[in-house]
Amino acid sequence: MIHEAAERALRAVSKYPQCEAYASSATVHTVYIDNSKISNIETKRDDGLMVRMIDGERQGKASVSLCRDSSVDDCVRMAESVLKFSPSTPNMNGYALPGKARHAMPDVWDKKVEEITPDELREIARAVIDSCRVNIPRAQIRVSTHDCVTMNGNGVDCSHRSTLVYGHFTSMAVRDHPGEGMETYHGTHLDLDPAAIGEALSRKAEAAAVCTEFKGHEKLSMILPPSELGDMITSSVGSAIDGENVKYGTSLWKESVGQQVASKELTMIEDPTARAPLSCVFDDEGTPTERRPVIENGVLRGFNRDSFCGGSTGNGMRRSSVEAQGAYERTPVIKPLNLGIVPGRYSREDIIEQTDSGILVEKFAWPEADELTGRFGLNVRCGYVIKRGEIIATVNNALLMGNMIDAVANVEMIGNDPKHMGVVSVPTMSFSGTELVGNRRWRRCSTAIWRWPWSLWWRWYAASRAST
Amino acid sequence: MMQAVMVKADDVQDLLESAVDKMQGMGAEFSDARSQTIRVTGVSTTNGDLRQLVQKSTGGVCLRAWSGGRWGYGTATSFSKEDIDRAAAEAVRNAAGDGRSDLVLEPATVKSHRKADVKIHPDSVSLEEKIQAALDLDKAQAIDDRVLNRVGAYSEEIKDVCMSNSAGSDISWQEVRTLCRAMSVAAEGQRMERYYDGPDSTLGFEVVRDADIEEIGRVTAKEAIATLAADRAPSGNLTVISDPMVSGLLAHEAMGHASEGDEITKKRSFLTGAVGRKVASEVISMYDDGTVRGAHGSIPFDDEGTPSSCTTIIKDGVYQGYMHSLETAAVLGCRPTGNGRAENYGKRTWVRMTNTFFGPGEWDRDELIADTKDGILCDKMINGMEDPVGGCFEAKCLRGYLIRNGEIVKPLQSFTLTGRSVDILSSADALTKEVILDGGMCGKGIEDWVRVSSGGPYMRARMIVGGGQ
Repeated sequence: MIHEAAERALRAVSKYPQCEAYASSATVHTVYIDNSKISNIETKRDDGLMVRMIDGERQGKASVSLCRDSSVDDCVRMAESVLKFSPSTPNMNGYALPGKARHAMPDVWDKKVEEITPDELREIARAVIDSCRVNIPRAQIRVSTHDCVTMNGNGVDCSHRSTLVYGHFTSMAVRDHPGEGMETYHGTHLDLDPAAIGEALSRKAEAAAVCTEFKGHEKLSMILPPSELGDMITSSVGSAIDGENVKYGTSLWKESVGQQVASKELTMIEDPTARAPLSCVFDDEGTPTERRPVIENGVLRGFNRDSFCGGSTGNGMRRSSVEAQGAYERTPVIKPLNLGIVPGRYSREDIIEQTDSGILVEKFAWPEADELTGRFGLNVRCGYVIKRGEIIATVNNALLMGNMIDAVANVEMIGNDPKHMGVVSVPTMSFSGTELVGNRRWRRCSTAIWRWPWSLWWRWYAASRAST
Repeated sequence: MMQAVMVKADDVQDLLESAVDKMQGMGAEFSDARSQTIRVTGVSTTNGDLRQLVQKSTGGVCLRAWSGGRWGYGTATSFSKEDIDRAAAEAVRNAAGDGRSDLVLEPATVKSHRKADVKIHPDSVSLEEKIQAALDLDKAQAIDDRVLNRVGAYSEEIKDVCMSNSAGSDISWQEVRTLCRAMSVAAEGQRMERYYDGPDSTLGFEVVRDADIEEIGRVTAKEAIATLAADRAPSGNLTVISDPMVSGLLAHEAMGHASEGDEITKKRSFLTGAVGRKVASEVISMYDDGTVRGAHGSIPFDDEGTPSSCTTIIKDGVYQGYMHSLETAAVLGCRPTGNGRAENYGKRTWVRMTNTFFGPGEWDRDELIADTKDGILCDKMINGMEDPVGGCFEAKCLRGYLIRNGEIVKPLQSFTLTGRSVDILSSADALTKEVILDGGMCGKGIEDWVRVSSGGPYMRARMIVGGGQ
């Protein structure tokens, strides 16, 4: 259906010097858990089309869901009306040129996802509930198939199929006070491990439920596991290497290609050949993708670009790493496909043991650095204070402050436990030069959690994360 | 002008009623069917370049069946009878509860057909004028070479909804939202700062025509440049005067999410069982009101067909009650409050806020600053995060000012506020007279974005402050 829609739309706009049709189709099954019970199951289908054209210095663009027979014609008519009123924009780059594939199709299609039934999805959710010894107030598992096709007047004609599996789980325990845990799963295959997720949810909620409020203000190292580091890297490094930010001068690294921007230990590879949610042979504009270093031993090697910026690196994306719906509605924007930090040699136990003064953050309120400046001041919902290589307290209600662009230049240790988090793949890492501030003066707490066998706990923790 | 791509309401209503009959016939205890068409025009410019100019039209039908204490959802993305009936059957199958539920939903039976309350409907305005508004906002920011990046944006959303349910409701309405924004990034050496401004509403294009576009653009650029001289904010437990935007963020994040009925039925909220309890100083009153004319979060009906209403959450420091969907109202034995909302026809419906705000106090802003010996005055928010379980919150402020001996002494760069919600609101001692609402998007957890507004007066309280480096 989407091939026919795209072909028909492209024929209708082929009179313009530059024209493009993108159509996508998704089938999404979601199961929701509320209060450790399966509350909703949804089945959704979503088909849509975007048409773009450039005529001289003017551009037209429109999108529709393919909800009726006239949808393709409606879309073309809307795009032409936009073109008619579009003001001139000089120096516009055209759409993608056809290119040869530079690698084989990555392993991003899972037959089990394609064939899953609501009952099977319900069973997976039931297995998570059964393996979690605390309440699961809110969770969802979403599995999707996604098909898309990109055609343009330059001769690009490519399609892509992938499956997407996304899980978001919260847990809650009440001990000294209520505490919340969270787990996420990002992937293309239905290989999430319900038992491991249930166990991790239990452990995190139980730890959060015995946190004490951090009091005081001190400088220390920040240790972030993949769950918290992923979005921090996406918002800071992802933004600094974004070609559009370079074009408009708002990237802090706009003049830094070939220069040392990060610690020598840090190498980041854009790898669309690996099994990851956005891995593909052609991006959503039809430009071939390839594996390439972005930062090599701390030296910036290049930026991510799309056709709007010119010199596209195959990073013009409409698809989301967590949501298969609505790709056709989105104008391509620059996005990492699978930006990975090359893992180091340290286990999390090693990192803790070699940290003199630090905090390992189990959960931020929302991990995010400012895209423009790299600054962050984040509420720590659950963190482990480390002194001389040992965890001495579990704390909450504090702000951890720093700058992520500075932090990547102050890497202390890189872990050996990479995980996919959206469009990035990151291990646990430690960084120097951050500050923790809380309410008044900090006192050591004396809760039972101090007496836990931490080294054993970390091995168990690592095992429980392995599947996620 | 945008081409209207919609199905005539009469045709859709028949299809929806037929789907509801089908779901009831298949054993649903309650069912509803909701069609939506959403038309969006978006324009954004960067440094005079047209970066985005797009028209979108999406349409679909959400079918819900309640059976055995569970919801089943089905979605049709075409308006054909065959597709809608297929989705209706999926909804009943997905519910597949065990026997009948003890929980009886009590939807109101509503028959109403409402147009959007706007003076100048965006459909009546040329695309040229909308593009020009964005370009004028962009151009007005070009006041200094230090303005590195100028963004002008205009967007409108026209949502047409038809709804039918097994309680006999027959409803249709239109929501119109119009917004324009200026955003400047100023730079000096390696230092970059930004500022933004612009109106938003559930009104029509009068919002743009009544606005002083030139002034909005110029002030936005000027304030971005001024922020280049800002220092790092002090850290610690400090006296903070939140501006209306940050007050709204506190209302929304600190108390609003924790007052959503589903968080109460799950006992996930620190406010579970709090009705009648003192949770704030007596100067604090707080409301969620979906009926505020023109506010970004206003809705005539929620996505379950319940008429929008005003819920008093806190009155004179005492906790009053929660916001509800059909389900949470039934669980807690309350009336639905019109807060069952969904991002669109393809997303779940659950309890969401509308316009959430603190009521006014008796102070003037200048009087409040003059009365503050040492503290921080907030100026605009970036975003925030709720913590219903822990009773805390996080609010990121775009910038602020340091107050010493009752006077503003210098600007401060972005910083974050946190603390325990009840402690903060219990420490509040002064609020100003004017309440201002500001529109935005609210995600629950990590997604499901709905349009809301939040606000309040300037408010003085104690909270933890931390400034990024």
